[in-house]
Amino acid sequence: MSSILVIVKNRVRELRTASGLSQADLGTALGVSRQTINSIETGRYLPSLPLALAIARSFAATVEDIFVDDQEGQP
Amino acid sequence: MTEAAPDIPGARSPRRGHRSATAAVLVVGGGALAAATWIGGDHALAIGLVAFYALAAMIAYVWSGRDSDVAAIMRVSGDERQRALDRDATALSGLAMGTAAIIGAIVTSARDHGNIGGYGVICFVGGATYAVALIILRRRR
Repeated sequence: MSSILVIVKNRVRELRTASGLSQADLGTALGVSRQTINSIETGRYLPSLPLALAIARSFAATVEDIFVDDQEGQP
Repeated sequence: MTEAAPDIPGARSPRRGHRSATAAVLVVGGGALAAATWIGGDHALAIGLVAFYALAAMIAYVWSGRDSDVAAIMRVSGDERQRALDRDATALSGLAMGTAAIIGAIVTSARDHGNIGGYGVICFVGGATYAVALIILRRRR
C-alpha cells in the first residue's frame, strides 16, 4: 500500500513579497500572527483548510496555485 | 491583495485576548495557596507566597503585552497555530503529570501496603476524564 504522506511546499513568501507586504501585514489581513505567517512560509506549519483558502483568496489564487505537492510528478 | 481580512472560521486577531488572564490565574491561585498556608499556621511562608505570586503576576502581565506566541497563549488568545501549540503543550504536560501520578501510586502502594492514596485519585480523575473526553469529542469530529 502506498503512503499518502506528501511534502507540501508553498509560494506564500513569493506572493507576499511580490505584493509588497510584510509578514505582519499579511497576518493582520488574515487574522493570524506574524509568527504564523513565518512558520507557514518556512514550511514548519501547515495551515488549516480555511486558512489556506483565505490565503489563496487574499492573493486571488487557488489553493493549488499556492500549496503544491513537492513530490508531484515523481514516481 | 484583498481590501479586508477574509473570514476565517475560528480566526482571531493576534493581539486580542485578555492581557491580565495569566496574571489573574496567578493572583487567584497564589492567593488561595497563601490563605491555606496562613490558616495552616505558617504565617511567614504565607506572606512569602503572596510576595512571590504578586511578582509572578506582574511579570506575566508585562510579558503578555509582547508580540510573541507565548504572549498570545498567555492572553488566552492567538490564532489556530498558537492554539495548537497551547493544546499540544497541555497534552504533554498532562502526560508528564499522569506518568508522575502513576509512578507515585505504585511507590505509595509499595510503601503503604496497597494504599495508593491521593495518587490513586489523580490517576482515576485523569483516566475518567480521558475516557469521557474521547466519547464526547468523537461525536463532534
